[in-house]
Amino acid sequence: MRTVAGQNRGGKSLVLAAILFVLTVFVSMAVGEMPQLPATVRVPIALIPALIFAYFIYQRRRLLHTEDELEQRIQLEALSIAYPLTFLLLVILGQLERVITLKPEDWDYGHIWPFVFIFYIVGLMIARKRYQ
Amino acid sequence: MKNRLKVLRAEHNLSQADLAGRLGVSRQTINAIETEKYEPSLTLAFKVAKLFEQPIEQIFTPNGDKPGPNT
Repeated sequence: MRTVAGQNRGGKSLVLAAILFVLTVFVSMAVGEMPQLPATVRVPIALIPALIFAYFIYQRRRLLHTEDELEQRIQLEALSIAYPLTFLLLVILGQLERVITLKPEDWDYGHIWPFVFIFYIVGLMIARKRYQ
Repeated sequence: MKNRLKVLRAEHNLSQADLAGRLGVSRQTINAIETEKYEPSLTLAFKVAKLFEQPIEQIFTPNGDKPGPNT
């Protein structure tokens, strides 16, 4: 059974984790541009956003169990759009890499994961519109 | 699937939010069922039937079928 209080708590935790994630990404980007710092400092700072994102995933999964059946379906449909789009992007990049050299400064992992997030948001918008 | 949720809700003077609260779902879910954009799970359909004290087949009917004879 869905509980409003549980959803509110879960929602706040998610927003907090998302804000922390964005902040720590910017911090890690800034630290990444400081080659004078040793790797023992830069590597842990670079991984802090990943830890926060892992917490975000954990909270999202917990929230899913408190949501009603339509919201769970919307989330599933959003993922069913985002996952193939991510796959398509990786196929395109993989195929391009066979014939040309992609610049790492344009297409490294750090450039790809924001696309995955954008695909999820697009999927969410499409799925929500369907049931409005 | 067709349903008589909107009619039953009106007969019981319930808003979408009231019905959603009683069934433990969101108002969006009630709206999506009423506009036939979403087909509820069997569990939710039975909850609706229990709430309105009617057989499930008199509330939800497959497209093309008419509701049961006791309607």
